[in-house]
Amino acid sequence: MTIRLRDLGACFEGVIPSILATASADGVPNISYLSHVEFVDDAHVALSNQFFSKTAANLHANNQATLLLVDPRDGDQYRLNVTFDRSLDGGTLFDAMAAQLRASSAQIGMHGVMRLRGVDLYRVDRVEAVQSPTIATAIRPSTADRHLAAAATLAVRIAEASDIATIIDAVLDGVREGFGFSNTMLLLKEPSGARLVTVGSRGYAWSGIGSEVAVGEAVIGTAAAERCAVRISDMSRIRRFGSAIRPTSADENRTRTIALPGLADAMSQVALPMIAGGSLRGVLFLESAERLAFSKDVEAALSIVANQAAAALSLADSLGNEPSLVTSEGNGALAGRPFNIVHHTFDDSVFIDNEYVIKGVPGRLLVHLLRLHLREGRADFTNREMRLSDELRLPDLKDNLETRLLLLRRRLEEKAAPLRLLQTGRGKLRLQLAGPAVLTVAKGKSSSSR
Amino acid sequence: MIDAELASFMESAVMIIVGTCDDVLRPQVGRAVGAIVDRATSSVDLIVSEWQWPETIANVRWNGRLAVTFARPSDYVSYQVKGRAMVVPALAAHRACAVRYVEAMTATLVGNGLDARVTAPWLVDREPAALRLAAEMIFIQTPGDMAGQRLEPSR
Repeated sequence: MTIRLRDLGACFEGVIPSILATASADGVPNISYLSHVEFVDDAHVALSNQFFSKTAANLHANNQATLLLVDPRDGDQYRLNVTFDRSLDGGTLFDAMAAQLRASSAQIGMHGVMRLRGVDLYRVDRVEAVQSPTIATAIRPSTADRHLAAAATLAVRIAEASDIATIIDAVLDGVREGFGFSNTMLLLKEPSGARLVTVGSRGYAWSGIGSEVAVGEAVIGTAAAERCAVRISDMSRIRRFGSAIRPTSADENRTRTIALPGLADAMSQVALPMIAGGSLRGVLFLESAERLAFSKDVEAALSIVANQAAAALSLADSLGNEPSLVTSEGNGALAGRPFNIVHHTFDDSVFIDNEYVIKGVPGRLLVHLLRLHLREGRADFTNREMRLSDELRLPDLKDNLETRLLLLRRRLEEKAAPLRLLQTGRGKLRLQLAGPAVLTVAKGKSSSSR
Repeated sequence: MIDAELASFMESAVMIIVGTCDDVLRPQVGRAVGAIVDRATSSVDLIVSEWQWPETIANVRWNGRLAVTFARPSDYVSYQVKGRAMVVPALAAHRACAVRYVEAMTATLVGNGLDARVTAPWLVDREPAALRLAAEMIFIQTPGDMAGQRLEPSR
């Protein structure tokens, strides 16, 4: 049976070191370990140039080499007869491998230390399985077809969704139902471009809606900065950063920061950039406690999903430019329990009954709506007037108001706040108060825990 | 050439990979399951499964060229030894060494978090042959500043 390189996907995950044998022109062999062999296509592999000088000298004198790859799932070994083709110092393949190296070195706290010097491309002349006494070597067929079908189903679901909230839910639910991955997050880029904010998640102890990741930081931030997928298949040797302890609301009240959720025992992670119209819109992130949970095939299929979602979100944003309506209800809700809302102007953080809710533009939006409601007894607000409002000082709101309203809406739900934004129809929100609201404006960096 | 410390390293639970080359300069990869160092002569006997790595044995029979890298999985300390080798029949001592090695190496790799079912295909001693290597050159291959440097005979 002919073994196709594409069927050896797990061997390229860099979990078990590969081995490279070369020989000088006068027949002196050389043998060394390699951390990673990159699959290029069925006839080519690439190696990052991390060699000792002897290997490089041998390859230039005698371009024949033999690689031994190991499947980390069963230990099966595969021998590849290869011929050195050429070295690359740029291009798509080089850029992708460089980004992957930067991401993995950032993960182990060696950011900027490991740099890709060169990529060597090899033609693969022959692939064969090494005899094994354990079980007859069984090549697992590629799962690409199955994942492609799941991506197609999910793409339909995304295409059917017409507003941002439905699109985000379609992606997160679809990844779980179609691919079987239950720990996911979707983050969208802030207009400033410096940060990503979580707008939805599945499978965590807390949703993390409103939590932020700096572009360039860790796996998610690197995928955004590099605009390429970052995948880690075995985190057992990677230093873990303690972000998986559930934060208390006292922590949130003190730091005015919502913690990013995470799996404490994650072994695999993949972060996929969401790109539409040439711009980064966000990042789709998945993780799993299993080793090797995300194969190259899964990455390829999810990349289609991520970009499809980015396009759908862009379209929903532009449709959202039509005036949409926010109505208010329960004017004063005299029957309900009164509640306090404190607006800290220095960072626009909002606390409801001493509980931190949100800060920044979504915080400003909430206070603005409430103030109009209290001052003018207004029942209806449109997106257009929010965009035009001087009071709001909204930065570059053109394409982000919908996202911020969604963030605000979901955060209020999560905090079980006595003040909610309900979606009542396409482009229609309702400001709902459970009791009389008392709004206080706090200037300066005073403590919130009064 | 091989001092006591290096000899002990080679005989400990370290991964052993062997490189050979055929008559058309095609290099070949194989694995050894144990080493016995003759400290007086700097000769190293490597036990290799001819069942699993027939090309490696055939290449050594053909031209005697051999490169061996010893690597410790826990900290990547590695040495490469090159020289001329010949194939000798595996004696009882070689077979016993292979059994001990497979046991110790399996324990080490399992201790590093690998499953014994996964490591089994790398630690095969079926139909053992011994490659008797006369060490001519030794190189440090531990990743780092010293990588690729030749060990002085007076080490």
